[in-house]
Amino acid sequence: MSIPITLESVVFVYPDGTRALDGVDLRIGSGEQVAIVGQNGSGKSTLVRQLNGLLRPTEGRVLIDGTDAAALHVAQLAAKVGLAFQNPDRQIFAGRVRAEVAFGPRNLGRADADVERAVDEALEAVGLSRTGEANPYDLGYSRRKLLAIASILAMRTPVVILDEPTTGQDARGVARVRAIIERLSEEGRTVVTISHDMRFVAETARRIVVMRAGRIALDGTPAEVFAEPNWPALASTYLEPTLPARVGARLGLVGTPTEAALVEAIGASRPVG
Amino acid sequence: MTAGAGSAQAEGPQPPPASVRPRRPESAPPPRLPDYVLRQPHGTYHALNPTTKLVIAFAEAAIAFGVRGWIGPIAVLVVLAITAFAAGVARRMVPFALATIPLVISILLVNTLLYPGAHDVIVRVGPLAPTWSGLTAALQATLRVIAFALSAAILGLTTPTDDLLSDLERRGLGRRGTFVIGSAIRMVPRMGERASEITDSQRARGMDTQGSVLRRVRGVIPLAGPMIYGALTEVEEQTMALEARAFSAPARRTVIRVLPDSATQRIVRWVLFLGAIAAVAAEISGRLHLP
Repeated sequence: MSIPITLESVVFVYPDGTRALDGVDLRIGSGEQVAIVGQNGSGKSTLVRQLNGLLRPTEGRVLIDGTDAAALHVAQLAAKVGLAFQNPDRQIFAGRVRAEVAFGPRNLGRADADVERAVDEALEAVGLSRTGEANPYDLGYSRRKLLAIASILAMRTPVVILDEPTTGQDARGVARVRAIIERLSEEGRTVVTISHDMRFVAETARRIVVMRAGRIALDGTPAEVFAEPNWPALASTYLEPTLPARVGARLGLVGTPTEAALVEAIGASRPVG
Repeated sequence: MTAGAGSAQAEGPQPPPASVRPRRPESAPPPRLPDYVLRQPHGTYHALNPTTKLVIAFAEAAIAFGVRGWIGPIAVLVVLAITAFAAGVARRMVPFALATIPLVISILLVNTLLYPGAHDVIVRVGPLAPTWSGLTAALQATLRVIAFALSAAILGLTTPTDDLLSDLERRGLGRRGTFVIGSAIRMVPRMGERASEITDSQRARGMDTQGSVLRRVRGVIPLAGPMIYGALTEVEEQTMALEARAFSAPARRTVIRVLPDSATQRIVRWVLFLGAIAAVAAEISGRLHLP
């Protein structure tokens, strides 16, 4: 179900001359759970659009499951790489929630029974099972966002990319997104998340790639990326370490990017008895 | 905290007397105006007052459409060509001319094949009987459409929208009118960006936009839905955002960027405006006899 992704010296220049990607080398293994972070304009969205062929590298190449993406149409790549866009209102068009979710799998030519099953599972995963017959435009923004994610989940692609999935979500919505990512990961699917929410990223991702000016500035586990020596690099792309990471550093503890890690580190550092 | 300070707080904050208000030190440089206020147009045509260029575009469009026959649109196209080269925007006008192709094709087909009352058939092809009269009318209409498109294009390429609206508002056009015109002008590039993003999001869900005609037609609905919904919600949100920023306040708005104008330009504007109206009126009344 999972496939590896490789970017080899990928350069992408927009028609107006903007060099959005400047020689990116990146390998995302099968079933990895990766977050891509960086300031606006650092190249995050441009990078993930290379993965499903919406944008093609100006130089270098993108390999999806070992195949050069240049040899595949977007419609073919859509069967391998699902991309949920940041703004749900740029994709929702159907008059019913179920029809919206079914759009992707139908485009992929799946059998009717498979489509129905995939729609059921996707709606359940995002908590919209009861709104299947509702008009998507009657849903609030946070639920439209979840609907957009469901419409990608229903395609059952080996790679799922979520662009800013927590935008507009309350704590319950964020927890829902986290659960979706964990479930995808348990299924062995590769999950790539773009986010500005450092707390969410630290708690969800197993690997963080920090982009700066079209290049990879940092690449490591949350504990490595949010470690004190990397704070200047984070600051250079207008990112801040998480609060537990800062508190941990003040206490002389390392590897505390999340509250759970901080509590554990404090507990471990206290003398027993 | 001192007792004196406490009593002053109890009475509430008072503005300091004028003599002790903070003043800019003599040595401090004057505040720098933002770039959009200071920017200067390059070139003679670009530097014309925006309203002058609007009147020129109006006169060109009025003559192209209002004066029948060949002379009106051809004369306007010649003027447009000279202006475009002089303003250095000739190359950038090509896409605008190309954008008229779908309309031009429909004009040619409808007029050539269905021109009412025409019997001078060029050639019969089955049920189709294109006529010379229809073809002549179609070509003249085509020239008018291209002239209109290019007159608007030159205005757009040489005049920042903000400058045009600012100048019109300064001349007394109501802020609602200014907003409507500005929204319409700004909507074009925004719709383009939105269409591109919507297309990307549907292609990411496997929609094939490069297949047969039937596939492409089927693909219109997933594109049109978000476009219409997005445009409607944007208008609603923009209206509320404007109201929240005192859009309806009765006060006269401050004009930050005053654009250059001259007595000569004022005369040119009136001459062009009245001249265009006179030409169209003469044409309508049958007093203008041109080939």
